[in-house]
Amino acid sequence: MMNELSIVILLAIALFGVLLWILIPRNKSSKSPVTAYSPDLNEALPTAKHYGYFPQIRQALSLTDARYLVETAPSHVAKQALRERRAIARRFLEGLHEDFSNLSRLGRIIAALSPEVSSEQETERLVLSLKFQFLYALVLLRLSTGNLPLQQLEHLTGLVGRLATRMDEAMAQISALSTGQIPGRLRA
Amino acid sequence: MNHLETLLVWLTVTFEAVLCGFVFVRKTQRTLPFFAAYASTVLVSTVTVWIVYEATGFRSVPSYFCYWIQLLLNAGMRSLAIAELCRYKLRAYQGIWGLVWRVLIGISSLFLLNAALDAWGQPNRLSIYSLTLDRDLDIASVAILAALLLIHNYYGLSLEPLQRTIAGGICLICGIDVVGNTIVGNFFAGYLFPYFTANPNSVASSVIRLYARINDFWSTIHLLFFMGAMGIWCYALRKPLPEPTEAPVLLPAEVYRELSPAINLRLSAFNDRLVGLLKP
Repeated sequence: MMNELSIVILLAIALFGVLLWILIPRNKSSKSPVTAYSPDLNEALPTAKHYGYFPQIRQALSLTDARYLVETAPSHVAKQALRERRAIARRFLEGLHEDFSNLSRLGRIIAALSPEVSSEQETERLVLSLKFQFLYALVLLRLSTGNLPLQQLEHLTGLVGRLATRMDEAMAQISALSTGQIPGRLRA
Repeated sequence: MNHLETLLVWLTVTFEAVLCGFVFVRKTQRTLPFFAAYASTVLVSTVTVWIVYEATGFRSVPSYFCYWIQLLLNAGMRSLAIAELCRYKLRAYQGIWGLVWRVLIGISSLFLLNAALDAWGQPNRLSIYSLTLDRDLDIASVAILAALLLIHNYYGLSLEPLQRTIAGGICLICGIDVVGNTIVGNFFAGYLFPYFTANPNSVASSVIRLYARINDFWSTIHLLFFMGAMGIWCYALRKPLPEPTEAPVLLPAEVYRELSPAINLRLSAFNDRLVGLLKP
């Protein structure tokens, strides 16, 4: 009796929590409701801005710089500098996450505004987004422990950058299509 | 009925009448007919049960049947109001509505099947059957509304304030009823209660008194939350309803057909790269 009761009470509390989380109004500028695709949406959805700072981040995190610091600076200064560099890399990764989220949101907006959607495509995108969240947490953890080579981070940034460029082009095309300006095929 | 019960009944009827007044003054029945029907059913059933109580007595057979039947009737009308909320906004988004209604029907079928099986296994008494069914319908209602709101959130859509308030109020009522019905239902269907009712003695009478106190307590809690939900709905209806939003401008079907697989492919490649990052 008590087990069933406990489960039901926990379920009710959990569902209430979800409901409250959803019902609490959020900042409207960050998530305005979708009613139509308009060119303004391009501004509301900055597809990818952080990847553009990668050259500066690369310079700040380069092995040569790190070696120079360790060799010339006092040890406490070098440690402090390396700690700060890691924090910068972490913030940069958070920015990449934001870029990914915006791009993923674009996919959902297109789905919402389509007269027909595929359940396979939607399920796949949901699973991919969940997988990304999980992997991102792991990568962030690895970066925090100082165990993530810069070269791999560069590959990741390049991928987001290419994706963002294509999405920017696709958004421009959708914008034109939605106003009936151009017919034809789209490329992402 | 004691003074507290009389006061609670009067307050409930007043809240229900005010809600009905707001619903029809604001012409809510034009946009949400099932919610208007639910508000009316709640008022009519409360008044009917009260009249039957007054006419035949609190512990009479007609009162017993009248109470449990109105409980199921209210639950049924509430389910229709929830179905209406699900359909209200999403139907304009033809693509995702075609997908979402299947998901919601799937969730509803699972919970209703669970409700039927759960109620089937109970002793053959209207009260236990109604309590079990009502509780499982409450769980289903909260789950469906949570799924609906999550779907809205996921696709960047938003329920209008009135619809969101109605959903919140229904969740409040259902959540409290789930807890209350589980406690009361477990006591009814427990091993000891049927034994004590079949073998009256001093212990049995004290247990039955304890049950009556628990039941009264939960009835009071239920009514307070019920009035709270109606208060929230009345507050949402205090101003004239805004004009219905225009239907969204949909994109050509080819946009989704061509872009969606490409986006998913890129997202997948991104995840593959993340996996690569994690390899030693």
